[in-house]
Amino acid sequence: MSIVEDLKEKREQKKKEKELDLQYGVKEKKGPGQYVLATLLILYTIIVALPIILVFVSAFTDEDALIKNGYSYFPEKWSVGAFKMVFASGDKLAAAYGVTILITLGGTLIGLLCMSLYAYALSRKDFRLRGFLTIYSMIPMLFNGGTLSGYLVFTGTYHMKDSLWLLMLPICCTTMNIIILRTYIQNSVPEELMDSARIDGAGEWRTFFQITLPLMKPTLAAVGFMMATGYWNDWQNALLYITSDYKRPLQLLLINIQKMIEQLVNNPNIASAAKAAMAGSIPQQTTIMATVVMVIGPIMVIYPFFQKYFAKGLTMGSVKG
Amino acid sequence: MTRKENILHFFKNTWKHRVHVLMALPTFLIMFFFLYVPMGGLIIAFKNFKPVNGIWGSAWANGKWGVFDNFRFLLVNKARFFRLTGNTLLYFLIFTIIGTLLNVILAVCIDQLVFKKLGSALQSILIIPIFISYAAVTFIVEAYLKADTGLINNVFGLTRNWYAQESQYYWILILTIVKMWNSVGYGSVLYMSVLAGVDQQLYEAAQIDGANKWQQIWHITLPSLIPMVSVMLLLSVGNIMKSDTGLFYQVTRYTNTDTTGVLDSYVLYAIQHTSDFSFPSAASFFQSVVGLVLILIANAVVKKIQPEYALF
Repeated sequence: MSIVEDLKEKREQKKKEKELDLQYGVKEKKGPGQYVLATLLILYTIIVALPIILVFVSAFTDEDALIKNGYSYFPEKWSVGAFKMVFASGDKLAAAYGVTILITLGGTLIGLLCMSLYAYALSRKDFRLRGFLTIYSMIPMLFNGGTLSGYLVFTGTYHMKDSLWLLMLPICCTTMNIIILRTYIQNSVPEELMDSARIDGAGEWRTFFQITLPLMKPTLAAVGFMMATGYWNDWQNALLYITSDYKRPLQLLLINIQKMIEQLVNNPNIASAAKAAMAGSIPQQTTIMATVVMVIGPIMVIYPFFQKYFAKGLTMGSVKG
Repeated sequence: MTRKENILHFFKNTWKHRVHVLMALPTFLIMFFFLYVPMGGLIIAFKNFKPVNGIWGSAWANGKWGVFDNFRFLLVNKARFFRLTGNTLLYFLIFTIIGTLLNVILAVCIDQLVFKKLGSALQSILIIPIFISYAAVTFIVEAYLKADTGLINNVFGLTRNWYAQESQYYWILILTIVKMWNSVGYGSVLYMSVLAGVDQQLYEAAQIDGANKWQQIWHITLPSLIPMVSVMLLLSVGNIMKSDTGLFYQVTRYTNTDTTGVLDSYVLYAIQHTSDFSFPSAASFFQSVVGLVLILIANAVVKKIQPEYALF
């Protein structure tokens, strides 16, 4: 059967399913129970959203009002002072943004490319080394060296402390993602299409880059977005390995703010008068919240564009090909 | 085919597929250097580690227990070891049981909702917390719990210091709430996709037979989730010994470790604050090996019940 016919048939099938859905929807009653359920779900969603709202509200609260009244959803006085502060010391933030964007894009792209190539090789059925490579990629899911051993190997043996590569490479190739990509190639990229490209004289590289990779877009989007959030949110590797100021990603910036405050507050050697004098240099609470907004904001903006790929990506991961 | 021919055939095949070998090479090397070598690095549990000599150059441990001397420290610091392991297991149990329950309840609720557009809109809001890093969550939790300006103390008129020892048992509840807030919306997506695949004719048939909504949920919706739930539970067994350091190290600010300390957060703390790795290395080794054994057992069980979901 040609691919065009196959597509046509699929489209028709979908149409039929839609019609069935409509019929079913008509039958469903919108009784009082439905309204109770809807209300409960809306309430629950509001509760879940409240902490996030608090971040945004307190980022726009006046610092003095916050100290006087505490955190509140209804601040006495609004202000954009916190953001002014954040942008005033903007070099640090800009540098941190740069580092985070670099490792997020770098890590995700390196990972997607390497893993897609690997998955492509695994999908070649007459490739005898395939069995070994499959097992090789599975083992890290079952057994791992843990944080301590990784730390000692990377810093002691490889001497890579303070290298941005350590924020990208250790988490760029994971078993689960390789399985998802391989399953997708096997189930959703038509074998005939790749074969016909080969018959037409395209080499394996060309087949991969011109046929397979473009057809993998949906799964690349799903896996890529999950990887990107992983990189964006990773703080542990940064905390362990990064020592230079200018190599700090955003998350480490947040953690360092935390540390700075703790040291100042908990240090008994600093007299209270001195503490008061230093108060100006302690990040204010609203400033911290403004920084948090800057850190979590970008993901919230990008997330809706990738949302539709999630459910698919998740389900694919749970089913072995 | 003889053995020799077989080997020859294998090499010929590999040569024929040299392009594919090359394609697999980058991932192979990355995994080798960043995942496999650290596995080998676990031998420091059997070594008398000196930072100058590194993992491979350090001498083998030869204390009272010979090469297993580091493991002696697990017993020497029995109280700490059992507390960390106990907490790791306790939180795993709490999170898994409550998490699975909430995931299923939320998935069923959204699936039952007739207002489909509202359902998917709510769902996309509910997923958001999973994308907020724990480094940021730390500050959100603080906004609620700070002694002077925190929202909880203000609203309820308390003066409790949540980060001090007086509140240590509350942290079990706090961490559970934070974890559920963070993960439930996302966790229910998987179950929702299962429910979306349930044959609608089953519901129609039940309606014709006069079953009400609750009966339909009880007899059709929930049973359809059982395979996925059991598989997810069994597979999570492999993570029993692992915990999210973001939650246990960041959000708690490493306070109240009697009730919030887990193996992973301890190891992370130890890397940064000590140079004597005998206890952490033995604990790490224990953690990795127990994890491996459990996941092998879990996989064997899954294979018996639901072979298509087995990992291998």
